[in-house]
Amino acid sequence: MLKDKHLTVTVSPHIKTALTTEKMMWIVSCALVPAAGAGIYFFGFHAALVITVCVVSSLLTEFLCTLLMKKPATIKDGSAFLTGLLLALCLPPELPLWMCALGGFFSIAVTKFAFGGLGYNIFNPALAGRAFLMGAFAKEMTTWKTLQVFPDGITAATPLNLLKEQGYDSLMKVFDSHSHLFRELFIGRVGGSIGETSAGLLIIGGLILLFARIITWHIPVSYIFTVMVISYFTGGVFGIPFHLFSGGLVLGAFFMATDPVTSPITPKGQIIFGIGCGILTMLIRIRGGYPEGVCYAILLMNSVTPLIERYSKTKIFGVKR
Amino acid sequence: MKAKITFKGGIHPPENKDLCGELSIKDFPPPGIAVLPLQQSLGSPSEPVVKKGDKVKKGTLIARSKGYISANLHSSISGEVIDIKKAPHPLLGEANAVIIKSDNRDEPEKDYSTEDVSAAGLSSGEILGLIQNAGIVGLGGATFPAHVKLNPPPDKPVKTLIINGAECEPYLASDHSLMLNNAEQILKGAVMIKKILNAEKCLIAIEENKKDAVSLFRQKLNSLKDIAGLEVLPLNVKYPQGAEKQLIYTLTGKEVPSGGLPMDISVLVHNIGTVFAIYEAVFLKKPLFERVITVSGKGIKNPANWRVRIGTPFKTLINHSGVTDRTIKKLIMGGPMMGLAQYTDEVPVVKATSGILLLTSEEAAAFEHLPCIRCGKCVTACPMGLMPAEISKMVEKGRIDMAKSIGLMDCMECGSCNYICPSGTNLLQYIKLGKYEYMRSKNAKR
Amino acid sequence: MEREEKSNTGYLKELTKGFIRENPIFVLCLGLCPTLAVSNLVENAFGMGIAFFFVLLCSNITISLVQKLIPDEVRIPCFIVIIASFVTVASLLMQWFIPDVYARMSLYINLIVVNCIILGRAEAFASKNNVFRSMLDAIGMGIGFTAGLFIISAIREVTGFGTFLGFRLIPENIKPITIMILAPGAFFTIGFLMALFNLIRIKKGKVSK
Repeated sequence: MLKDKHLTVTVSPHIKTALTTEKMMWIVSCALVPAAGAGIYFFGFHAALVITVCVVSSLLTEFLCTLLMKKPATIKDGSAFLTGLLLALCLPPELPLWMCALGGFFSIAVTKFAFGGLGYNIFNPALAGRAFLMGAFAKEMTTWKTLQVFPDGITAATPLNLLKEQGYDSLMKVFDSHSHLFRELFIGRVGGSIGETSAGLLIIGGLILLFARIITWHIPVSYIFTVMVISYFTGGVFGIPFHLFSGGLVLGAFFMATDPVTSPITPKGQIIFGIGCGILTMLIRIRGGYPEGVCYAILLMNSVTPLIERYSKTKIFGVKR
Repeated sequence: MKAKITFKGGIHPPENKDLCGELSIKDFPPPGIAVLPLQQSLGSPSEPVVKKGDKVKKGTLIARSKGYISANLHSSISGEVIDIKKAPHPLLGEANAVIIKSDNRDEPEKDYSTEDVSAAGLSSGEILGLIQNAGIVGLGGATFPAHVKLNPPPDKPVKTLIINGAECEPYLASDHSLMLNNAEQILKGAVMIKKILNAEKCLIAIEENKKDAVSLFRQKLNSLKDIAGLEVLPLNVKYPQGAEKQLIYTLTGKEVPSGGLPMDISVLVHNIGTVFAIYEAVFLKKPLFERVITVSGKGIKNPANWRVRIGTPFKTLINHSGVTDRTIKKLIMGGPMMGLAQYTDEVPVVKATSGILLLTSEEAAAFEHLPCIRCGKCVTACPMGLMPAEISKMVEKGRIDMAKSIGLMDCMECGSCNYICPSGTNLLQYIKLGKYEYMRSKNAKR
Repeated sequence: MEREEKSNTGYLKELTKGFIRENPIFVLCLGLCPTLAVSNLVENAFGMGIAFFFVLLCSNITISLVQKLIPDEVRIPCFIVIIASFVTVASLLMQWFIPDVYARMSLYINLIVVNCIILGRAEAFASKNNVFRSMLDAIGMGIGFTAGLFIISAIREVTGFGTFLGFRLIPENIKPITIMILAPGAFFTIGFLMALFNLIRIKKGKVSK
């Protein structure tokens, strides 16, 4: 009865999970939609254009690279879409569009395909793209669309900028009280990159990833916890919610640092990675030349990922330490 | 009481155990032709004691064990030996087999239906002899001869006997149905084994998704004598809960040392099916010529648990159960996680067969093999605490020595990493290749 | 006659090998430090290229002339002395003729003394071959290096400043990509050009994939 049927012979196992790479990429993209929507709502139509240009340029570059390198087309796996989206979310809302396109090109062509494509890149493509744009167009990359205006008409930058350059008092002048500042930070009605301001929606997105088992708790928890501890010792009780909700920390902790390709593979290594990210972020925020350090902190930790992996091997069952 | 701890890692594949519906065991009619491969256990193949043209009955010895680690083989039907030649084998591809044509009378060698109550009083040596004569091997799939396993060296006494009723493989329900239908006999077998080993306690481990079996066993335990030290323990539902080392860890909290055997930590594990076979051998004097298997998968019209004669060709079972008109992709002996894909349905049921699955193209995975994205899911899933992605990459690049240094040979091939991998990478294929290459180079050095 | 022909083609090879096949920057990966430092402007690159060419040519010729006189044990110090003399000559000449270029890059001109291409050619080639071959080798390598510098600096100046040799190519209102005139920009450019050179060599079948 089975004579006319072809039987496939492979090694076991013969069933596999329904959660494929492709699905993972699209779920992450969907988890970013609320934060992106908030960005467009707060910063206006140009933010939507930035997102579109970044995504299209990433997809186009991916297509050209696979064509040039004679690799199978990988556009539909969603990784280029996600890279473009993440890149757009950490760019200022009023960045000229051709710069966005250049960033998307750099992310995919240099940080991803020059290293061999999906799974082989050393650095997080979106963050590397942002760092490239930061180096190339320092002025445009730090020109924020501002939502708060000083009483005397001077526009203010991001809360982190304000704290670093003009001090705590001017920050309080803009935001009256702590609770008002924290509320605005949580909702996202402050100056900053398109997708990083709305801490609340980003946390929702991060929880989606955790429940969909796309990321594990190790990196976000160790990262955020480290930042909280350091900010408590440097900024007191005010520091914890301020450093937690301002800048790109939530976006970075849930979506960037957890990028599977560039973070350690073992749970213990992931915790070390998260702690390292937290320390570097706070070091740059407090002592460094930039007001925000998430991007460089994660990129720096990316580069030591192989080292972390070497020293965080798993314990093999039945082998005594 | 329930097992308190659980092992690290593991996965939760869809169970699909309800495909078989009710858990009764139906007797499968004796086949017209039985193909009995001479190699059905670990160790050396047995030596035929019949020749072409000989008349045999159900239960007649047709091949004798050769060497200590080897097992006897008995005819499963009555009829005539028509040939001894190479035939398809589900594990080896092709191997020598005794082929018997049925005379449709199904005459037994002797009466196997009356229980010999005096057997309970036999000495350990006599019981071991009965087990050896009956050709019993580990029916969980490892097919290690039971008389060898039950006779541990004197410096490694067994204190804890574990009866493995976890049956964590998806689809398979043969052990479950056996537990429901023959609980009393299994318990008698367990008491017998405990007596041979002089073990302090005997734990019967059953996964929690078989609640009916747990309560039935507890109920039976109360009604039996000689049950001191026997205990039924429900386990968390997780694959691979039934894997020997993980099961021992869950129940005792002890880890079998890497490269060691359970008896190194005074534990012995036996499968439910083996225990039942031992009961039959000791109390009914019945050799191992039939066993319970699950015939299932979405390609099968009427999935069921059958008590089937060893040597029945797969196609007889499949034809009897009916094939659905969906696209058939794979024929598997065993469960979907560790079973072996077959290239033909001519292969016979052997002692190691726990199930026959006919998977449709929608159930059987198509592995696309995208590049590894280093998500670490395989590391989290591996019950042995290995890093499957790293090992497989090292094997892929030919660095067997490096792979060995991070635990290549500790892999037990449960397939959890391969199941969970979102990139569809064939991790296990590379790991198996690495183990094979390592053994080959090690043997070449000798 | 036959031998003559053979050696003639051999001479041509000595000259052209420095262009692509053994290009000092992209294939041998030598002398990358000055390459990174002076390739942000085409003008600088030319100054460096000419000084380098002069030193390489003179030192190669001199070393091949005196190769029999130099004891093997102290050959490296001797090479360095010879190279250093010509570097001094070059830097004095540049100071005289193109003082503003020299002012920008005096440090890198002086560092030619320890440039691995020049020392490498002296050690690997000039000390073992006759004067004419060494001269051809120096010319080929010099052209290869200068051309490499020129390509890198052209890309970096156009993208990073929007100019070429000081002439504005890209309108002022388009922001130049500042990172291209910083060190990372040099790495990106060299990396991509290296890939391009490898591609050419693979296409020509000179190296296996």
